[in-house]
Amino acid sequence: MSAELWVAILAGAIALSAPLVLAGVGESFVERAGRINLGIEGMMILGAFAGVYVASTAGPWAGLLAGIATGLVLAALMNTVVHRLHANEVVVGLAITVLGLGLSTYLFQVWIPSGQTNVSVETVPRVPVPLLSDLPLLGRILFVQSPIVYATVLLAVAAWAVMRFTRFGLQIRAVGTDPVAAALRGVRTRAVGSNSLLLGGALAGLAGAVITVGTIGSFTPGITAGRGYIVLAIVIMGRSTPVGVALGALLFAFLQSFSLLAQSTGLQLPSEVYQTLPYVVTLIVLVLSSRARVRSVLRKASLA
Amino acid sequence: MNSLRDLDHRRWLVTGGVVLVVLAVAALLILFAGADPLVGLRGLVDGISSSPYRVGELLVGAVPIAIVALTLIPALRAGIFSVGAEGQIIFGAILATGTTLWLATVAGPDLPGPVFWIAGALAGIVGGSLFALLPALLAVRWQVNEILSTLLLNYVAAGFLGWSLRTWLASPEETATPQSEQLPEAAALPTMIAGTRAHWGIALVLLIAIGFILWRRSAGWTRVSVFSSRPKLALRLGATRAGTIYSTMLVSGAGAGLVGWVQVAGVNERLFSSVTGGVGFSGLAVALLGGLLPVGIVAAALFFSALTAGAVGMQSATGTVPSSIAEVIKGVLLLGVASVAAYQRRPAAVVAPSDAVVPVDEEPVPESSPRLHATLPHPPSDTHPHELQPADSGESSR
Repeated sequence: MSAELWVAILAGAIALSAPLVLAGVGESFVERAGRINLGIEGMMILGAFAGVYVASTAGPWAGLLAGIATGLVLAALMNTVVHRLHANEVVVGLAITVLGLGLSTYLFQVWIPSGQTNVSVETVPRVPVPLLSDLPLLGRILFVQSPIVYATVLLAVAAWAVMRFTRFGLQIRAVGTDPVAAALRGVRTRAVGSNSLLLGGALAGLAGAVITVGTIGSFTPGITAGRGYIVLAIVIMGRSTPVGVALGALLFAFLQSFSLLAQSTGLQLPSEVYQTLPYVVTLIVLVLSSRARVRSVLRKASLA
Repeated sequence: MNSLRDLDHRRWLVTGGVVLVVLAVAALLILFAGADPLVGLRGLVDGISSSPYRVGELLVGAVPIAIVALTLIPALRAGIFSVGAEGQIIFGAILATGTTLWLATVAGPDLPGPVFWIAGALAGIVGGSLFALLPALLAVRWQVNEILSTLLLNYVAAGFLGWSLRTWLASPEETATPQSEQLPEAAALPTMIAGTRAHWGIALVLLIAIGFILWRRSAGWTRVSVFSSRPKLALRLGATRAGTIYSTMLVSGAGAGLVGWVQVAGVNERLFSSVTGGVGFSGLAVALLGGLLPVGIVAAALFFSALTAGAVGMQSATGTVPSSIAEVIKGVLLLGVASVAAYQRRPAAVVAPSDAVVPVDEEPVPESSPRLHATLPHPPSDTHPHELQPADSGESSR
């Protein structure tokens, strides 16, 4: 394994982590508010399709906006069914995923009937950061990336600040911790829950569009390949904090990038090992982190 | 809760609304693809019923969905959301195929059929159960959320299947798609209706359905139902957390593993990488659609299979409507059913005030996530007397 290859793997990991961080930050707001969005996978893949569809006529930036809009629409639908009709959140989330997967496949097949060549759109170009990109090794890993990656970092920092310092963030945490007490103190629990879900949906849709418009440039049915579920795992592992989410996303993205590029190297392992590695490691980290959590709870209990 | 007392008109209004929305969405999608909805509808009907063979295909498609859905009843009723049927089907199919082929090499391919069937079915059940054991263990020991662990394990199973079909299970012939060797003729499930592919798995579905109808009258059902809303009370009734998680997840794993064998021995007679064909997820949807009632589930499985078969008919009749329209309809349907189920629960709170008790006896269980308990048909949250609580319950335990 040459240094050249490692640079490629790490730079790829940074690029692959962007959609996971975006959707993960959104979901951490949802989970901090005490709810869960199991429809992320559906929102991501429909956003991925809408992104390419719009980008094919209006350019990549419009495609990203279309992804946001798609995620918002699905989140609004989910919000209506869960909050207005009081349907079960888990079932509705899975239904949204089924709907998103089905609709993206259907619309794609109507747009490009089987047999025709897939449409490829212009992706968001990479922008090297002046000066920093000239750093040895690190420059090529961190600072020759798509502007989406830089924006994602800013967004994660902003999310941390919002959660920590703003009224909205405080309200979300209050509702998630004790909805009854929050309501008694005048927090509109429903509105807070809805807003966090809409935010999570918009970011999930954007994350989907980032996968297609940001890097690949075309859509194929099932392109998200369970990354919506990975996001849920990352948010649980990362304890719903932006830093934790980013670390979890980087871990998964690194393994994904590794599995894409390492097959060409000397390690003679079956390709399936590389393909399943990200999922296996995610599961292992999920187990380890929940075990650690149990321990910390036990420690607190013994101190009390 | 299914007694006549609960039939209030609002619920029927919502149900009617769901049906209208589904039809409207279907019509819109067909129009969007530039076809006539009526032509599409005729294609759909033709796709299901134009020949005995088509009807047979409908039944063949419903069998795996129904078995997965039926065996998910205990887990879902206990509020344990196992989404791992896909992976469990794969492991059941791998073990069943391996065992059948091994038996054929050791004892010769001329063994009587029932020997192959029993060995294959048992191997499938063992494979599926073992693969369900892991997420159950993780959930019991470390509170690892079972939705996420089962979802992640599905990818692991798919990888293992791909590797198996390239290596130890690979067909000796040169083939374009990875596949196993063909099963010996005696090992194939015989057809039940001549002129179709409808096999004896249909009888298996009926047996399992009857089994669950009887089980719903047993003490086990009561324990599992109580467990989902009052774990402490369930403990006094003899249902521990570990015992409930292990037993319900093993049942669903066994069912999924059995499906793995049924699909190999009944439909293709060899193992392909596409063995699940999404029936694991469809099974989950059908279990919810059927309201966890065995009869409802069998009907819903037939309906799902009809949608899939009919959509293929629609594709060939219109020429422009992709058959993936069935998947969109399934999603809309599932959304609708979740809404109707919510309405179903409301009168229940009035009729049975015992359901509306605030869950004060829940012990604070350390969780790695907000509790993702599926609580169909009636979770404590929606019968909660005040509106302050968000729709998802369980936060009271954190």
